[in-house]
Amino acid sequence: MRDWLRRLRVMTTKELLQLSRDPVLLIILAWFFTADIYIAGSGISMEVKRASMTVVDLDQSEASRELISRFRAPRFQVKELLFAEKEAAARLDRGERMLLLEIPPHFERDLEAGRSTEVQLQADTTHTVLGILATGYAARIVGGYATDRALEKLGIDDLQLAAMPRVEARRRVWYNPNQKDPWFMSISELMTVITMLSFMLPAAAAVREKERGTIEQLAVSPLSPFQILFPKVIAMTLAILAGTAVALFGILLPVFEIPVKGSLPLFFSVTALYALAVSGLGLVIATLSRNLGQVSMLVIVVLMPMLLLSGAWTPPEAMPWLLRELMVISPLYWFIELGYGILLKGAGVALLWKKAAALGLLGAGLFGLGAKLFRRQFR
Amino acid sequence: MALLEVRNFGKRYRKRRAVAGVSFSLERGELFGLIGPDGAGKSSLMKAVAGVLAYEEGLVTAFGVPLDSEGNAERVKGRMGFMPQGLGLNLYPDLSVEENVDFFARLREVPVEVLRERKGRLLAMTRLEPFRDRAMKKLSGGMKQKLGLVCTLIHQPELVILDEPTTGVDPLSRRDFWAILAELLEEQGCSALVSTAYLDEASRFHRLAFLHQGQLLDEGTPEALLARAPGTVVQFRASSPATAAARLKRRFAGVESYGDRVRLFLADTAPQEARRQVAQALGGLEVSELETLEPELEDAFIRLLPAAQERPSPILPGAPGPAARAARTLIEARELVRDFGSFRAVDGVSFQVREGEIFGLLGANGAGKTTVIKMLTGLLPPTAGEGRVAGADMGASSLAIRQRIGYMSQAFSLYRDMTVRENIRLYGGIYGLHGRELAARMAWVLEMAGLEGAEGERAGRLPMGMRQRLALGCALVHRPPVLFLDEPTSGVDPLGRRRFWELLTWLSRGESVTILITTHYMSEAEHCDRVALMHAGRLVADDTPDRLRQALEKEAGRLLELRVDRPMAALRVLRPHFTGVSLHGSRLHLFAKRPKEAPSLIRSLLGRAGIALQGVRQRSPGMEDVFLYRMGALEER
Repeated sequence: MRDWLRRLRVMTTKELLQLSRDPVLLIILAWFFTADIYIAGSGISMEVKRASMTVVDLDQSEASRELISRFRAPRFQVKELLFAEKEAAARLDRGERMLLLEIPPHFERDLEAGRSTEVQLQADTTHTVLGILATGYAARIVGGYATDRALEKLGIDDLQLAAMPRVEARRRVWYNPNQKDPWFMSISELMTVITMLSFMLPAAAAVREKERGTIEQLAVSPLSPFQILFPKVIAMTLAILAGTAVALFGILLPVFEIPVKGSLPLFFSVTALYALAVSGLGLVIATLSRNLGQVSMLVIVVLMPMLLLSGAWTPPEAMPWLLRELMVISPLYWFIELGYGILLKGAGVALLWKKAAALGLLGAGLFGLGAKLFRRQFR
Repeated sequence: MALLEVRNFGKRYRKRRAVAGVSFSLERGELFGLIGPDGAGKSSLMKAVAGVLAYEEGLVTAFGVPLDSEGNAERVKGRMGFMPQGLGLNLYPDLSVEENVDFFARLREVPVEVLRERKGRLLAMTRLEPFRDRAMKKLSGGMKQKLGLVCTLIHQPELVILDEPTTGVDPLSRRDFWAILAELLEEQGCSALVSTAYLDEASRFHRLAFLHQGQLLDEGTPEALLARAPGTVVQFRASSPATAAARLKRRFAGVESYGDRVRLFLADTAPQEARRQVAQALGGLEVSELETLEPELEDAFIRLLPAAQERPSPILPGAPGPAARAARTLIEARELVRDFGSFRAVDGVSFQVREGEIFGLLGANGAGKTTVIKMLTGLLPPTAGEGRVAGADMGASSLAIRQRIGYMSQAFSLYRDMTVRENIRLYGGIYGLHGRELAARMAWVLEMAGLEGAEGERAGRLPMGMRQRLALGCALVHRPPVLFLDEPTSGVDPLGRRRFWELLTWLSRGESVTILITTHYMSEAEHCDRVALMHAGRLVADDTPDRLRQALEKEAGRLLELRVDRPMAALRVLRPHFTGVSLHGSRLHLFAKRPKEAPSLIRSLLGRAGIALQGVRQRSPGMEDVFLYRMGALEER
C-alpha cells in the first residue's frame, strides 16, 4: 500500500513538473482563468444599453418632442432626428440602427382632440433577446406617456391618484438583487472554462504520451492503468483548482463584487469532484484518439452539446421539453446548479448532497471506462 | 558545367546553426550520397536544393540557375523531383496506387498519352503493377517507398532529390530500392542526390559526402575516401575477448568486440606493423585467426569525426570478466501464435535465451518482431502458445514479469521536458525505488551512461547518443535481469552506436543481463551471441552469426566483389549465371560456388558483352548478406 501510494505520488509529481515546463499550457491556463472570465463578465450582457435609434418626427410638435425626450440613456440613444421618412428604413436594413420610431403627422392634434393615435416602432430583432427587450422597454415608454396624457386630460393629480383603486406588481428579486449580468456571466464562464480544461488537460497529457511513445514504457512497467491515468487527473485537477482560486479571488470577488453566500471550501470540493468527473470523459476521448488534433476535435464534439444542454447559454425555461429533459445528462448542468447554489444562494451540504453524489457517480463511471479502454488499446 | 553546384551553403534555425560551409557539386548522371546521422543537416540541405527552404549563407545553383529567390526556384522545380523524408509521407493514404500516380502526374502536367505509357513502365519496374487499385495505406513499407519513387519520377525530372528513402525499410526492400533506382537512373538518364543514415549504404553511390553536425567532413568517390584513410583493420578471436579489448583500448581508439571476436582499425599503419603493434599491446594473450583487412567506409568516417567530442567510455565498475555461461534460461518462447483478425502476425515462434546472452531478432518490417516482444513483455496476450521470462509465466504473472524486465523502444521513451536526473528519479520511483537505494542507482546510471555533469540538462536537449544511453539507463534503473530493446539504435551516429554496443556487451558479460534486441542495422547483428531471422511471422533461422555465415558459404558459395566498367550492363549479364548478384555503386557482389574458377567464367561472360573486368576479390559475407540470401530464397518460394 505504501508502495502503491508512493508510485502514485511519483507519477503526480511528474505530471506537475511537465505542466510547469509547458509554456503554452501555462499561458492557456492564465488566459482562461483571468482575461477570458473578465471579458465574459464585463463584455457580454443581455441588457439593452444605448440601443441606437432613428426617430422620424413627422409632427414636429411639443407632444412629439416630449415623447422623443423620454427615449434616453442608459437604454436608448437617439442617433438622429429626421423630419421625413426618406432613408430611415435603410438604416435599419444596413444594421446601423436597432430601432426606428415614427411619429405620424397630426400626433399632437389628435391627442388634443381626444382621438387615439398610433406611433410606429420598427426593431431589428436579429439578436432575439435584445430585440424583444428593446421593444418591450419602448412599449413601456410609449404606454407611460399615454397614461400621463390621459391622467392629465382627466385632470387627476397625484393625491387623487393615490386614492384610486389599482393593482401594483411588486417584484422582489432574490440572489442577484440588482440583476447584474456580470454575476451570472462571469460565474457561468468560469464553469465553462473549468469544464473545458478538465476535459482537455488530462486528455492532452495522456495523448502526448502516446505521441511521444512513452506510453509503452509505462505500460511495460509494473504500473496499473489506474496508476498511470489517475495522477494525470490529480495533477490537472490541482492546476484547475489553482486557476479557479485565481479567478475567484482575482476577478469575481474584487472586480464584479460577487457576494459569496455559501462556503468556499464546499465550492472548491464540488469543483474538484466535477473536474474529476469530466476528466474521466477526457481520458475516454484520449484513448480513442491517436494525436492531439483528434483529441481537440472530439472534445468539441462532446463539449458543445454539454454547454448547450447545461443552461449556461440558454436558460432551461427557454428550451423545448425534450431538451430540458436531456439536460440531466450534462455534467455541467449539475455543476451550474451546485455552483450557483453555493455561491449565490448559500446552499449547504444538506441541500446539495444528492446532486454532488450524482456528479461523483458519473465521474467514477467515466474514469473506470477510460482506464478499461486504455488497457485495451495495446491489443 | 555541373548540374548542381552548392557553394559555402549555410542554414540557421533562429540561433541554432544547422549547416555551415558545405560545398559540393553533382555532375549529370551521377548518384550522389549525403551520409550522416540524424541532425547532421542532411534534410536542410536537401530542402534548400529542392527549392523549398530559404537559406542565409552561400549559394545553390541548379541547372545554371542560382536558387536565391522564390522566382528562380520556381523556374527549375519542373526539372526536379523531390521526395521528402518519412515513409510515404508525401502520398495520400486513402488514394489507390494508380490515383496517387495520376495525381502527381496532373500536378506536373504530364500529357495523358505520355502518362499512360510511363505509368505502365514505372509500375512494372517497381513490381507495383498488380497493386494498382490497392489503397496506399495498405501497402507494406517497402512498397510505399517504391510508390513514392514512382510519383517523384512521373514527370521525368533531370534531378531527383531523395531524403532518407531507405530509413525504416528492411534490408530486402532496401536492396530492391537501390536496384530499381540504379536502373531508373540509367534508363532515364537523370541524376540523383540521396541522403542516408546507414553507412553500409555508402558503397551504393558514385560519389558521396560525409556530413556531421552541419559540417561536410569529406567528399569524393568511395575509393578516394578510402584512399584518404590509409591503415589496417586487425581482427581476431580470443578466448577472453573482454580482456583483449581492455588491453587494446589502453593504446588504440576504435576497438570493437563482436561476440568472441575483436576488431580494431589502426590508422596510417601497414599490415605487418599493425600485427606487431597489436601483438605487443595484447602482451602474450592468446588469440586465434588473426587477420588483417582493408578498412571500410565506416572506418574512414569515424576517423574524420572530430576527436574527443564526448568523454571516452569510463572504465566501468565490475570490470567485465569472461562470459559466465550459466545454463539458466531466462527468456523462453514456446509455439507463440498471435492473430489480428484473420491475419496471423506471429506463427509458432519458439526460442530460448540463456542468462547473459545477447539475442538478436532480425526481420523485415511486419515480420512479427515487435509483436513477439509485446507478447513477451505482457503488453499483448498471445492467441496460442506460452512463454516464460525471468522465471515468471508470461500469461499468469505478467505483473511479476513487468517488475523484472527493462524495456527500451525506438522512441527512447524519455520525457524530453524533464532533466536527466528527473527522468532517472521518475523511472526509479515507478519501479518502487526510493531513498538511499534510488541514490545509488542514480549514481550507477549516470556513470554507466557517461552523463555525469549533465544531470540538470533537459533530456530533449541532449545529443542523440547521450539520450540513447539515458534511455538505456532508465530501462536498467531497477536492475532487471532481462532487457528488451526494440530498434534502439535508429538514427544514432556510428560512434554513438559503437559506444552503445560496448555498453550492451559489458552489461551481458559483466552484469549477466540477458538481452533481446531487434535491429535494422545488419552490421549490428554481428555483436549478438545468437541471431534469429523472422519472416512472415515465422522463425526461419536461429544460430550464432558465425555458423549462419558458414551455412551461407556452404549453401551459396563465397562472396565475390567485382569491379567492372559498366556495372548495370554487367549486372544483367551475370544475373542468370550466379546467385545474389547485386549492385554496390560501381561494384558488383555475387556468390560463387567455385570461387577459384569463377573469375575466369565471369571474365569470359563479360568479355562477350564487351565489358571489362577490372578486379575481383573475395569478401567475408556480413550478416546483411546472410539476411538477404535467406529472405530472398523465402520470397521466391
